[in-house]
Amino acid sequence: MERRRGMEKAELPLTALRGGESGIITSIKTGHGGRGRGRRGWGFKKRLMDMGLTLGTRVTVVKSAPFHGPLEVSVRGSRLALGRGMAERIFVETTK
Amino acid sequence: MTEKKLTVALAGNANVGKSVLFNRLTGLHQHIGNWPGKTVEKAEGTLHFKGYTIDIIDLPGIYSLSTFSIEELVSREYIAVERPDLVINVVDASVLERNLFFTLQLMELETPMVMALNQTDMATKKGIMIDHEKLQELLCIPVIPTVAITGTGIYELLERSVETIEKGGTKPPETRYGEEVEERIRKIAKLIERIQFRYPARWAAIKLLEGDEQVEKEIREINPEILSTAERLAKEIEKIHGHSCSTVITCERYEVAGKIAREVQQIVPRIRPQIRDRLHALTTHKIWGYPIMAILILSIFYSIFTFGNYTSGLSNDFFYGWKPVFETVFGTGIAGELTWGAMEGIIAGVTVALPYIIPFYFILYLLEDSGYLSRIAFLMDTFMHKIGLHGKAFIPVMLGFGCKVPACLGCRIMETQRERLLTGFVVTLVPCAATTAIILGLVGASLGFQWAFALYIIDLAIILLLGRVAFKTFPGEPTALIMEMNDYRVPQLKTVLSQTWFRLKEFIKVAFPLIIVGSLAIKFIGALGLLEPIANVLSPVTVAWLGLPAVAGIALIFGIFRKELTVIMLMTLLGETGFTQFTNPSNPVPIVVFTLVTMLYIPCIATIAALTKEFGWKKALFITVFEVFFAIAVGGITRRLLMLVL
Repeated sequence: MERRRGMEKAELPLTALRGGESGIITSIKTGHGGRGRGRRGWGFKKRLMDMGLTLGTRVTVVKSAPFHGPLEVSVRGSRLALGRGMAERIFVETTK
Repeated sequence: MTEKKLTVALAGNANVGKSVLFNRLTGLHQHIGNWPGKTVEKAEGTLHFKGYTIDIIDLPGIYSLSTFSIEELVSREYIAVERPDLVINVVDASVLERNLFFTLQLMELETPMVMALNQTDMATKKGIMIDHEKLQELLCIPVIPTVAITGTGIYELLERSVETIEKGGTKPPETRYGEEVEERIRKIAKLIERIQFRYPARWAAIKLLEGDEQVEKEIREINPEILSTAERLAKEIEKIHGHSCSTVITCERYEVAGKIAREVQQIVPRIRPQIRDRLHALTTHKIWGYPIMAILILSIFYSIFTFGNYTSGLSNDFFYGWKPVFETVFGTGIAGELTWGAMEGIIAGVTVALPYIIPFYFILYLLEDSGYLSRIAFLMDTFMHKIGLHGKAFIPVMLGFGCKVPACLGCRIMETQRERLLTGFVVTLVPCAATTAIILGLVGASLGFQWAFALYIIDLAIILLLGRVAFKTFPGEPTALIMEMNDYRVPQLKTVLSQTWFRLKEFIKVAFPLIIVGSLAIKFIGALGLLEPIANVLSPVTVAWLGLPAVAGIALIFGIFRKELTVIMLMTLLGETGFTQFTNPSNPVPIVVFTLVTMLYIPCIATIAALTKEFGWKKALFITVFEVFFAIAVGGITRRLLMLVL
């Protein structure tokens, strides 16, 4: 669904970004195939969006903690800590 | 003349200075309790203003009005059902957009409201200028710039609040969603208007489209047809947009918030990083962050213990000085013994617990108010994932090394019920200050430091193991860290002190009655001559399985009341020669087994009370019984292993 963009753009999980890089959120994948409302992963997806990580929003990775730790991201003027498991499911589009 | 009464609620995101504002408004006239039937804090206070008695309710800091956490549920129920006269939406001016997202949701609840545009000083420092008059125009609610810390704007805020109530509230415009969504919201709202529903129709319609479980449930009970219509319409939206309906609505709401924010704010980014930003970078640094944290935590614990030890000894001497006076009043008979028993409980509470608990809480809230706790959670996230929890859980676990009672109460910082329970379980396994005293005093003193250290390692291994097992067994969603790291700020002494004071009251309420009852029970059992029969009943476990002297059973029972009593009782019951024999380094097995069992076998009675308060008696009982059997099993197995090796 998100793959119809041109070649110059790459879609990556947030965890693939290095410190200082940013991207536009294209999708947030939830636990089990997005079976819709009230299911597994729904609550955390909702939470992420409530905190400002909605589709189409620019998010900047500030840094990540060592030993596969959480990410520090900056979004809508606020500074958030995101667990790596969560960040892996947030996909962003970066212009190369 | 009787004053007219008003109720005003404070609502807003976490870390926007809500509690500072609350303290400003109410001073010491406040009362902190729980929402009925919920483990969510309810802070209430009163103030008098222009002939009104205003009851201020400080709602928990939240980011949304969905059902993600209990706090969100409590807040929206309060606003929609109890209907306060006014809601003051406290907003962090330096993160306007996200705060407006919440403001829009409050407006959807159709509550009269004003906005306190707080921390404008911080915003200015970050180069953010906000045209509050324009914001007021766009939102159609009064917007008052405030700096709660200095008190700027508070008087005007109150004035405008009262004015708004007198004028009969506010009528903000509806948040307009995209046409496809808007049309369907109206359709559902029309259906809901026909039934008696306790929430506003438009709001409920939006929630049904978002798939809000609680609203769905309530609507289903009244009229299931509305629910199926809503589900059908939600599917249509999903088809049009290619995303779930809740995603679409959240995105569109944020778009509206973003549009307003862009219209009213001007951002001139600072070129030179500020001290608070440098401090943030340093304390979350991948190398430096850890030693800084370790040094800070260790020095905090060290100073608390030093301070506690000193004041504890001092107050102990003072109270025991009164014993002769007591004896002349109540005599030395059974009545005298029992009253002194109760007295000893109080003394124990005052001299053993308070000297540690007070500085403990004080420093904890100092750290929280400064913003450092969220950095600790950030640094410890990876480690906590090893036991299936996320970084925030490190805070209660860290507290557990001091005392398990505040640690259990501190599990509330976790978002879901499941995470709270898992964290609570892990907390009960952490060696608290009393346990550490036993490990060092008994094992460290007689067998040497390496044995004490080994016991610590064993305990950590057990926590890791049981934490993982519990994580796998408990049903529910796995956890992840999603946390705001707000800017560092200078802690407010007043806020910290009032937090410490209310926590302390809570601690006394939970722990003291049981410490007193415990001391009485001990005296009573002793007076009735029941010690020996109890020791005999327990001997199959203590003597045969664990290889301990029979009196160890009694010592362990006393330890339920206060862990450090196990060693004291063992000393008294064995007598000097017996105790010297027991702690003879040539046979380390019994000491190690005894300490290991003491460490694991039961959270002390005050902790059980705290567990009951947070999780209900069934879960508290389950954890307690499990840990007793677990400790006995581990003790017996360790004994046999040690006998093989040594």
